Amino acid sequence: MIKSKAIVLNRRAVLAAAAGAATVALAAPRIVRAQSKELVVGGAASHKNFVETVIAPVVEKKYSCKIVFEGTRSLVNLEKMQKNKDKQYLSIVMMDDPVMIPAVTEGLLEKLTPAKVPNLATLKPGTVHMDGMWCNYLQPWLGIAYNPKVMKTAPTSWAEIYDPKHKGRIILPSLQNTEGLANLFIASFLATGKPMAEAAKDIDAGFKKLVTLKPNLLTAYTQMPQAYNLLEQGEGFMISSAISQVALERKGTGAPVDIAAPKEGIFSMPSGVALVKGAPQPELAAAFINEMIGTEVQTKLSAATFSLPTNKDAPVPAGMPTGVTIHPTDWQAVAAGRADWVKRWDRDMAM
Amino acid sequence: MTKSGAPSPWRDPVVLLAVPAVLYISIVYGFPLLWLLLKSFSGPTGPTVQPYIAFMSDPFNWRVIGNTLRIGLWVTVVCFIIGYPAAFALARAGAVMQIIMLVSIILPLSIGAVVKAFAWQIVLRRDGVVSQLLVGVGIWDEPQRLLFTEAGLVLGAANIFLPFMILPIYSVVKLIDPRLSEAGATLGATPLYRFTRVTLPLTLPGVVSGIAFVFSMSVSMFVIPSLLIGDRFQTLSTLTGRSFLLMRNEQLGSTTAVILLVLAVSIVVFSTWLARRLGGST
Repeated sequence: MIKSKAIVLNRRAVLAAAAGAATVALAAPRIVRAQSKELVVGGAASHKNFVETVIAPVVEKKYSCKIVFEGTRSLVNLEKMQKNKDKQYLSIVMMDDPVMIPAVTEGLLEKLTPAKVPNLATLKPGTVHMDGMWCNYLQPWLGIAYNPKVMKTAPTSWAEIYDPKHKGRIILPSLQNTEGLANLFIASFLATGKPMAEAAKDIDAGFKKLVTLKPNLLTAYTQMPQAYNLLEQGEGFMISSAISQVALERKGTGAPVDIAAPKEGIFSMPSGVALVKGAPQPELAAAFINEMIGTEVQTKLSAATFSLPTNKDAPVPAGMPTGVTIHPTDWQAVAAGRADWVKRWDRDMAM
Repeated sequence: MTKSGAPSPWRDPVVLLAVPAVLYISIVYGFPLLWLLLKSFSGPTGPTVQPYIAFMSDPFNWRVIGNTLRIGLWVTVVCFIIGYPAAFALARAGAVMQIIMLVSIILPLSIGAVVKAFAWQIVLRRDGVVSQLLVGVGIWDEPQRLLFTEAGLVLGAANIFLPFMILPIYSVVKLIDPRLSEAGATLGATPLYRFTRVTLPLTLPGVVSGIAFVFSMSVSMFVIPSLLIGDRFQTLSTLTGRSFLLMRNEQLGSTTAVILLVLAVSIVVFSTWLARRLGGST
């Protein structure tokens, strides 16, 4: 009896201690939070490095605050905002442009205005979207990645991949990959000769041209590492519509990869940032975005990510194309048409 | 044909041993599957078969079903042709040899499908081993690429699924008394007759399990085709994956998943039935 009583007592003691510990653990972060301003930024897992090493130090020093970065995927960030609509904890989201559109439609974002974010005025045209609902903080660009060991001269035109001498050597991203969309627009541009903005609307012409590329196709990839593997081993000669960031990072490690900016112009990959509506620390959040698109951060950020800055005054990093047209993408048209395009891609491009 | 006095199978306490497995399977597999089924039949206004009608009325989707079944069939055939004799060699080998063979069959299972698929990518290249070999022995005039072809996919997938054909057949062959065949010989049966009338019927249960394993795994494989044949060759499982992961179209995804499941299950059930018919009681 005594023994069992002791056990009961012990159990109670343990329970009490556990409850106490839990209270302390739960309460502690609030106390800590109260001491300094904290800003939670949601973005992609791949953004973590540059947010924490390039952007956060500048903002933290200037506004004596703490930046907490939560890295996941764009769609997960969207879900986080949807689920916490009444009590947002993310102040800023960095998401792909196509995912910004449903966030705008559902009223989850707060408009960026020049009063809150003065540096908006310094952004390149085409980088502020839907009347200021979000803006681009970077332009990772799309060009043609090639293997310099097998391609003695760099490709100069998007038309090069259609040359019959490259039979079975061209790698395309699947249309389900965002970087794959550019190929459709370029194909239409090459087929119709219309200006890019108009050609991008003529999807039918794009598909008809893309189909003629089939004999030259090695594969259409969904997994990017595989595409680079094929390119670096020389099985593939070119990846049409490759992301500068990825290609130049591979080049930096000594892999036989380079990227060319064709004369017809290049495209930019999505890289949006927006304010969350009803979020904590709205002024600090606006200041964060203002710093992010300011000259100082833009200069460092574009070099660190092998991308183009969106701030007009920031210098273009060495090795990046200059004087090339950057074609904007109409993400609203993409959001509306993509499911049908992918469907047609499956049918038209099938082996 | 229960003997009188023998306990009914439902009263036999041994049945209780299956409780953990039944619980586990129901929770992690049964309920989600039921949910998937319901999802595929639910429309905006209530129960509907519209998604199935829409799917079946598109000729492209029949091509996808065709791709899925053709690849599944070829992988199973290749695994059977290579695996059946290998299972005999394994069962009849001496103790040390048997251990070596078992290890070499089982050990590769610990390497993920992604790693193997990447390795096959190198083997199947234009300048890869297979191409060089075929040019070397004069079958091909010039190096060709097997990567991103159906043949390449079948080769790669068969390699990955082969142990699942060998092991069930091996476990049955191991139990066959070698003297049965000898007895047939003393009675004047030819080797072919002995094989078709004695050995093959006795191994059928193993063959059926092997086929069921390999076929159902090869019609549902997702990573291997996406690496070995790419986006231009859709199967039911790659279509399902894309519907859920990219297009966020849960209805299409559940519809294709249910079709795949029904096809795979019915072929496995049919082959079991056929084997019972052919081999008597198995």
